[in-house]
Amino acid sequence: MSRSGIEPLFAEAASWDLFDANVRVGPSGIHGELALGAAALLEEMERFAIRNALVSHWTAEEYDAETGNRALERDLLPRFTPAWAALPDAEALDALAARRPLAVRLSPGVNQHNFPLASWCAGPLFEYLQARSVLVLISRADIEWDVLARVMADFPALVVVLLDVGYRSDRYLFPLLAKFRQLHFDGATYLAHRQLEAFVDRDGPDRLLFGSRLPLYTPAAALGVLASARISSDARLGIAGGNLRRLLAACRNRAAQVGA
Amino acid sequence: MRSPVSVFDCHGHLGTHVDFPACKADPDSMVAVMDHLNIERLAVTSTLACYNDCPRGNAEVDALLKRYPDRFFGYITVNPNPPGHAIAELQRWRHFHAPPLIKLHPGLHRYPVIGPNYEPIWDYANQTHAIVLVHTWDSDPNCGPLLFVALAKMYPRARILLGHSGVTWRGYHQSIEAASQAPNLYLDLCGSQNHRLILERCVDRLGTSRILFGSDLPYLDASMTLARVLTADVPDAAKEEILRMNFLRLLTETT
Repeated sequence: MSRSGIEPLFAEAASWDLFDANVRVGPSGIHGELALGAAALLEEMERFAIRNALVSHWTAEEYDAETGNRALERDLLPRFTPAWAALPDAEALDALAARRPLAVRLSPGVNQHNFPLASWCAGPLFEYLQARSVLVLISRADIEWDVLARVMADFPALVVVLLDVGYRSDRYLFPLLAKFRQLHFDGATYLAHRQLEAFVDRDGPDRLLFGSRLPLYTPAAALGVLASARISSDARLGIAGGNLRRLLAACRNRAAQVGA
Repeated sequence: MRSPVSVFDCHGHLGTHVDFPACKADPDSMVAVMDHLNIERLAVTSTLACYNDCPRGNAEVDALLKRYPDRFFGYITVNPNPPGHAIAELQRWRHFHAPPLIKLHPGLHRYPVIGPNYEPIWDYANQTHAIVLVHTWDSDPNCGPLLFVALAKMYPRARILLGHSGVTWRGYHQSIEAASQAPNLYLDLCGSQNHRLILERCVDRLGTSRILFGSDLPYLDASMTLARVLTADVPDAAKEEILRMNFLRLLTETT
């Protein structure tokens, strides 16, 4: 056992080409002790063999979307793929389009960007995102299940990545996954006993993405679950990063077809 | 992934879940996971008893201990309501282990751990030098970690394990604060929130001798807390104490 314990424990993870779907960077007014700047975040990713990450900015989530997106531009490192903050306002949508997004992270809560996800408000935003297959990241805490179902029904090509689903969600998650092929979720909090492998046995690995919840959580937890799950090597590689890369590639291809 | 240290795990369950489908939670599947991760012994409490029916739940633990005497320890789970039943239950199953292992769940039993119906149980625990695992949660009026400072001082021979250490970032800090004020309070690491740096902070404030590995198996995936400990920035000797030696010492201390 080494002091860090990581190398012997996760030696095999170095070959998994991990792509983390659930990462934030920058200062946090709420989680100040745990927040990480870009260099420190990259260092933490390195410790756990995480090659790439979808990264959003705390400043966008806790303060102002455009200010946060500019901070994200400043903090971007080559191994980060930006998950921009997005708003339903026409001006904000123009600014988002200029960034040619591959992914956005929505924070619609009343204490955050405070907007409804209904078509009468967010319709143009969702139209834009689904036309370009942009990944829409949203935390389970920020969207009710019924609202999620309505959004996916109204925008059937919208690619949704539900973050932080928790381990008690299967009775909600399973029917939605069966009904909506566009729904995916991350494993950062999907951590009940043998839950991941039971899901893969049931539905296959394609809808599940590796997520750590850095910088709040240590990647050790989600990585430990993925490493010890009794699933096929192909399934593990898909969850580790293959599934997310496939979704991002589809977005790039779609953007090339439809133009900016 | 496998622990290089043969683990003594202070927090497990027997039974299914009320709020989501259980996956492979039967004892044989649990033992398979324990073998896979190198968990030598697991102390279990009956989930049925934590929710609803202590006599029947403790009987399930009794059957498990008979079937797997070398892999499990058994907590006797007691409910403060109705008053008077708990001591009879503790007497009935006293063959589980000496000193006794007692499980309290003030959250699910919806009764404050400092309430009068718990007093006979704490008296019994104090007299018998029991190991008492109590579910805790950040600031909870029934089982917030800071409630345990006065209890630990009132019942100094009881070894009280703060189950989940309050779970959240703030709950952990409440547990650290409580344990810093009473030497018979211990931190149990299992829980669904996996904050960076928190284990290092526990070690920094309390040292390693009162931090115990718990998995919550088969409720939570045992590999997540195991990975959290094994990758923490603390010395190897501390990891070995946390994963094995601390709980083993509590189990064998009789005075």
